[in-house]
Amino acid sequence: MIAARCSDVWMVYNSLFSENKLALRSINLEIEENQIYGLLGPNGAGKTTLISLMATLLTPARGEIEILGMDAKKHVKKIREKINITSGNPNLIWSLTPRENLRYYAFTYGINDKRIIDELIEFFELEEHQNVEFNRLSTGNKQKVTLARAFVNNPLLVFLDEPTKGLDPDIARRLRKKILDLQREKDITIVLTTHYMAEAEFLCDRIAFINDGEIVAEGDQNKLKNMLKMKDRIIIDAEGEIPLLDIDGIHYREKKGQRYTFFVDNSEQRLSDIVKEVSKFVKIKNIIVKEADLEDVFTELSK
Amino acid sequence: MSLPNFRSEFYRTIAFSYRNFIITRRNFFTIFETLFWPLISLLSVGLMGSYLDLTEELLAFILIGAVSLSIMQLAQLDVTYVLLFDIWSKSIKYTLVSPASFFNMVAGSWMVGVLRGFLAFMILAISGNLLFGLNLMQLPLYGLILFLMGLFINAMLIGMSTCILLLLFGYRAEVAAWTLTAIIMLLCGIYYPVTVLPPEVRVVSYIIPATHFLEFFRSFYGFHPSMDYSLILGYGLNVLYLIIGSFIYIQAMKRARKTGTVLQFSE
Ligand SMILES: Nc1ncnc2c1ncn2[C@@H]1O[C@H](COP(=O)(O)OP(=O)(O)OP(=O)(O)O)[C@@H](O)[C@H]1O
Ligand SMILES: [Mg+2]
Repeated sequence: MIAARCSDVWMVYNSLFSENKLALRSINLEIEENQIYGLLGPNGAGKTTLISLMATLLTPARGEIEILGMDAKKHVKKIREKINITSGNPNLIWSLTPRENLRYYAFTYGINDKRIIDELIEFFELEEHQNVEFNRLSTGNKQKVTLARAFVNNPLLVFLDEPTKGLDPDIARRLRKKILDLQREKDITIVLTTHYMAEAEFLCDRIAFINDGEIVAEGDQNKLKNMLKMKDRIIIDAEGEIPLLDIDGIHYREKKGQRYTFFVDNSEQRLSDIVKEVSKFVKIKNIIVKEADLEDVFTELSK
Repeated sequence: MSLPNFRSEFYRTIAFSYRNFIITRRNFFTIFETLFWPLISLLSVGLMGSYLDLTEELLAFILIGAVSLSIMQLAQLDVTYVLLFDIWSKSIKYTLVSPASFFNMVAGSWMVGVLRGFLAFMILAISGNLLFGLNLMQLPLYGLILFLMGLFINAMLIGMSTCILLLLFGYRAEVAAWTLTAIIMLLCGIYYPVTVLPPEVRVVSYIIPATHFLEFFRSFYGFHPSMDYSLILGYGLNVLYLIIGSFIYIQAMKRARKTGTVLQFSE
């Protein structure tokens, strides 16, 4: 099934005091269920806007949005019962404790179930902090509670807007793992935005790149790399001249001083051939192998 | 409505009572709001009345005004704050993305307001009696309940108006709550009968529900209402404004979702 579908969606922010802002133009998107779908793109690209539209917080200027098979214009309440959203700025009611916050938000979904809250507190390792006022928590714990909140209604579709923003690498990694565990365990669909390419690589089954309000590329990670002809790189520092090599899989090479960079189709497959061949001519001082990553894709697409 | 549906609706409403109750309980200044200011107002008005050597009826007249104003102001707070709590915490997104409706929000928070208002009324009734011999229970119980409910609903309307203005103009609209109570205080005859107002202004007084509830209450203290059917008029206006208010809120919400102002409160 399709968890979310956008057809020719446009969004304009109207303002009384300043110019209207066209934030999204003709977005077409299909997100299959039971996967983690990433929305990537530079600041101001329109990721939060797109997520807010799908989460029924905004209504589009034009176009149709379908969430879990329901028309987002007609079935707002039904959709809201089955989805949830969270944002990277960890803000919940300041003077309420994590437990009280979770209880309050569960109530807003018509749910009064202590078990769900106990489970979330345990899952996000918040036992120690569950009775401390929210504004006294560390950023990491705030982020955990905010993330936990998005699951109080057992949603089928969750939107996570930069869920690990501003966290130290260790906590960020642990939260990523939790997100993955939750998704696998509960078979839900997650739509996530992030500026951390490692996060997208680790979590996302599919990715859409947004730039300046438009989707510029879409697909799984390999497809994106191939589409942009992103190459793996084998970088060799050598003493002496390396002549042109006749090896399959080398697309081209670059030379800067003593450093040679070979752009290849697959570094794992070609490494030994290249090393064998090169060492016939020169002494190798250092080898670096770099697989093409999302960072390259990102840089390319944000241009 | 089926039973599970009813249960969900109930919890969605209780959500806002729960939240307001905890925040209220945790906030030291609540004591001031609920106890201190109403008592100060009762005392100052009562003492002024004694100094001016007012008759028992006239003293009752202005004390009833002071008490009514206090409890209306108190009962309005909870509804007024219901969106503000979210706006201050920059978390309004999460309340709005839930299936809870404006009705849930207003009804839930209002219940806490009614509780506070009722508590204040009891305290004022007792202190008014001890200090100034004022008997606020002079009318039959059903009359007292109808009077208080009428005032509480009027208070709910003030809170609703603030919510609507907040949605339209952002958190600066907070002042609206105070402005509205001040205008009501001036026009609905808290310390004087509305008949002292010029006829053009009086027209406005008559479209405020509280005017009629005050006249109804005072009719048990020997003051004849300037308009017949006070209770019916008061409740009629309350219902009318509830309908208009809900309609405007829904429209304001539609607009906020279209223009994106919803997001501006969040971050
Ligand atoms: N409430 C709003 N009113 C007016 N313009 C807005 C509003 N929210 C966003 N915009 C504008 O719309 C565009 C898209 O913003 P959006 O927040 O969706 O980008 P984003 O991809 O989430 O960026 P970031 O990575 O910085 O979070 C930006 O130019 C932004 O300035
Ligand atoms: Mg964003």
